[in-house]
Amino acid sequence: MKRSHIIAIAVVAVAIAILISASKDVTTYANFSQAAQSGERVKLVGQLVKEQPVEYNPEKNPNLLAFYLRDDAGDVRRVVLHAGKPQDFERSEQIVLTGQMNGETFEAADMLLKCPSKYKDQEVYVRSEKG
Amino acid sequence: MEYIGEHLLPGRLGHFFVVLSFVAVTLSCVSYFWATHRRESAEFDGWRNLGRFSFLLHGVATLGIIGSLFFILTQKYYEYQYAWANVSDDLPFQYTFAAFWKEQQGSFLLWSFWHVALGLVLILRAGKWETPVMTVIALAETFIASMILGLYFGDFRLGASPFDLLRDTMDAPIFAQADYLSNIEGSGLNPLLQNYWMTIHPPTLFLGFASTIVPFSFAVAGLWLREHKEWLKPALPWSLFSGAILGTGILMGGAWAYQALSFGGYWAWDPVENTSLVPWITLVAGIHTNLIARSTGYSIRSTYAFYLLTFILILYSTYLTRSGILGDSSVHAFTEMGLGFQLLLFIGSFSALSVWLLLARQKSVPAIGKEEAGTSREFWMFIGALVLFFSAVLITGATSLPVWNKIVQQFNPDYVGAALKDPVAHHNRYQLWIAVFIGLLSGVAQWMRYGERNWPAWQRKFSIHIAIAAAAAAGLSALNALWLEVHAWQFYALLFAGMFTLSSNVDFIITFLKGNLKQAASATAHIGFGLLVLGILGTGLNKKWISSNPFAMEGLIEGMGTEEMNKNILLLKQAALPMLDGFEATYEMDTVVRQTREFAVKFRKMDKQGSYTGEEFVLHPNVMYDRQFSKVVASNPSTQHYLTHDIFTHVSSLPKAELDPEFAKQQEDSLRFEPYEAAIGDTIFTPKHYLVIEGYTKQPRHPEYKPEKGDLAFGLKLRAYALQDTQGFSAEPMLYLRPGHGGFTLPGNVGQLQMRVRLNESSMTRWLGMEENLNYQKIPMKEGETVDFQGYKIHFAKANRKITHPGYAAEPNDIAVAADLEIASPEGRTATASPVYLIRNNQPFSLKDEVPEMGLHFRFENIDPKTATLTVSVAKASSEDAMKIPLDIAENAPRSDYIVLEAIVFPGINLVWAGSMLMMFGLALGMWHRLFLEKRK
Repeated sequence: MKRSHIIAIAVVAVAIAILISASKDVTTYANFSQAAQSGERVKLVGQLVKEQPVEYNPEKNPNLLAFYLRDDAGDVRRVVLHAGKPQDFERSEQIVLTGQMNGETFEAADMLLKCPSKYKDQEVYVRSEKG
Repeated sequence: MEYIGEHLLPGRLGHFFVVLSFVAVTLSCVSYFWATHRRESAEFDGWRNLGRFSFLLHGVATLGIIGSLFFILTQKYYEYQYAWANVSDDLPFQYTFAAFWKEQQGSFLLWSFWHVALGLVLILRAGKWETPVMTVIALAETFIASMILGLYFGDFRLGASPFDLLRDTMDAPIFAQADYLSNIEGSGLNPLLQNYWMTIHPPTLFLGFASTIVPFSFAVAGLWLREHKEWLKPALPWSLFSGAILGTGILMGGAWAYQALSFGGYWAWDPVENTSLVPWITLVAGIHTNLIARSTGYSIRSTYAFYLLTFILILYSTYLTRSGILGDSSVHAFTEMGLGFQLLLFIGSFSALSVWLLLARQKSVPAIGKEEAGTSREFWMFIGALVLFFSAVLITGATSLPVWNKIVQQFNPDYVGAALKDPVAHHNRYQLWIAVFIGLLSGVAQWMRYGERNWPAWQRKFSIHIAIAAAAAAGLSALNALWLEVHAWQFYALLFAGMFTLSSNVDFIITFLKGNLKQAASATAHIGFGLLVLGILGTGLNKKWISSNPFAMEGLIEGMGTEEMNKNILLLKQAALPMLDGFEATYEMDTVVRQTREFAVKFRKMDKQGSYTGEEFVLHPNVMYDRQFSKVVASNPSTQHYLTHDIFTHVSSLPKAELDPEFAKQQEDSLRFEPYEAAIGDTIFTPKHYLVIEGYTKQPRHPEYKPEKGDLAFGLKLRAYALQDTQGFSAEPMLYLRPGHGGFTLPGNVGQLQMRVRLNESSMTRWLGMEENLNYQKIPMKEGETVDFQGYKIHFAKANRKITHPGYAAEPNDIAVAADLEIASPEGRTATASPVYLIRNNQPFSLKDEVPEMGLHFRFENIDPKTATLTVSVAKASSEDAMKIPLDIAENAPRSDYIVLEAIVFPGINLVWAGSMLMMFGLALGMWHRLFLEKRK
């Protein structure tokens, strides 16, 4: 067998191995009920429920933010994020979370905000991360 | 309707240039194409000259567009949407550039500008490669020029013009007024973009983007003309140039993110970062196969593929960042302009062209039948290029998930879409192995020779040096344990690979090149890579949040998970708080300048026993408010640099009252203020505290007060104490009257005592009313005279035309004189006063002055020009009662004098910068070497 064939086979084998192992890193977008069913880490898109209180008391804990989110299916759940509250949080029109359900609460590891901006057509994103 | 005050000429001119630029470059593309096609006929010169002429015309037109747009921005012609959306009257000039290329049109123009500049160099230098190469560049320019055309074909719009008028893009009632322009102001530039990085990063990055077209064009030219070997030589310096510039551009992006934004790092595997890195990786792979092809004739096909792929990936990156498709997965701000279709057409055409050429010419590309020897340099370099390609595929695949989702959703609308759970961990996990392989390969291949020249004799030398490098790497990795905490075997592998390429290449420069740095381009770049790997390990593994105080926060914190989550710390003003690693932080003060609130945070380092080490520094993180001061729009970090590490801080949160004036007002309204009254020197006792009124001032200072000419301002200086305590805290509540705006009161806060003091409406009336209770006595005086007033000696020094009175705002045609008075009290104290006499619009006015400590008030009543006598009215505040000032005091005010701070130690950050700069320097050195030194040989 020629060396180039060996290399080609090795490349294909590594590619397949990576594809299989990397599939664990991928998650799907889900809503609260799907997240509760699967119990896995998911991405979730929703809107801040502005009628409900946003809890952030930096005097008590600057790394705890809790709020209520309405997902695409219309369900509302409490969300807890262990990070500081991003500026502009209340003005967000869409929130993208990564995390999993823990009982009735969604524990987020990462949050991405989509905020309307006074600059026309422009959207400003603010991210806070647990890291 | 006839609108008033619009400047339509620059827009019309700009639009003319836009169309001219598009037409000229299309013509240039066609002409160059025919020139190349008929290169052996007599028509060649004619076509080539037409191609040159029209490309130059395109260049002139492009400069014309840029000039027109820049003119509109600097003149602040808000009738143009581009100016209205991106600049404002108060925007400093140097940020006009940032405003220019912030939008898609501006950045397309920047790209175009560099294509034109590179095109001119190629016309001058490319020789016989000019016509095919310029055909491709002109074709790309045709696409880019079409992006800003702004022409409508029915409902379809081709390109978005930067010269659109605001009234055409927006439907608002204001445009019903002919003079609408006098009522609008620019929205200004996002404060996040108001920094010098936004001025230097985009031009560099776009030069990098633009320059990738040159290797692409040479590759197309090679395939087109079937000159598969000849193009390799002229293409190489261009690829090296492109690699150095694109790399520098990406690096600047990382430096910007690290130094000026609060991302807390230099690389976040954000889609936008990834899609600019990937073309650089394939370009570097192409440079390596290009070197192989030049020296041995192997890898010509892969060189073609890599160079073609690089530019297509640049286009793909442009599509991803400009089409809005990354919406859910990126932190970067995008402007979606409806150019998605045109961008897809751009990528589609260039991909189709590349694939078709590769297939059509497949047979004629020379390939060597014999395989590369396993001990040759070309073999292992090729493996390295393959590893780089793998890296590019992995990053692109993961970053393209949103694109994949969109495609699947076209066929299956119910598809929910996939996303990476944790992008940073995912990329790190796989790219780590890429780096390990690159480290090992670049260390080994450096000591091999093309075509395994004289291998039997060389073998011994090779083995010795590889053994030295491996031993050195092992030793250094072991020593490294003193500096870094490495907690997984994978990282040991990476550490070793980094150390290995570092040792091997340093050894190569010393023993093989004998220190001849001119030829050390590749070794230099590989040393840079090794250092970069070490820096990444340091900053990635040993990045440490010191803004944590598990002990002080214990019990106070609800819902607290592990200690690692504790990345932010709350600092009360002027209260030192110990953090991790022996640091103690104090939030000392804050100041407001323009829209920026800057905090001074002092760090003091303690040793293990808790005693002060003498090391201290002050950092100044800041937050920027929007122009209405209604919200915080940016939090900018401040970093203390050391050779071995950085201490990075930023304000991660502020009290709600500081973020939201609406809330602050509610909070203020809910406070229980109790009324008190006091004269200067009095002491007020409240249930918990006492306050001493120390004095008052007519030039008060307050963080939220920005004095303007014409203001009447009054501030009370006081000092507050807790009962049974001698430590006092000063506060200065104030009020001011601004002509045309009204009266305002700004409270003084004593955060430590949770006390707030404010002057109220009756303080204002009392203060203004003081005047009414005064009993003025008119005194005529001449210059140089001294008169006696109730024991005070008042000396009239001179009539002064230069007015320094704080209440005086000069207007044309004013006649104003100040009477400079020197006063001596019976006790022997002295003071000065300068009341002003003013004639404005034939009306006389008097601006009073006073000496608060003596209770004396002066008015300048009139001047008799005949006798040179002036009349000054003098009054002494009669009783203490009249001087009593009402004020409101609230206790138990919620504290708003704190910041939430994040502080991170980045060890080895300088290795990241040094290593990556060395890589770029290596690429540049290679280009210089090939351009200027090889020729002379």
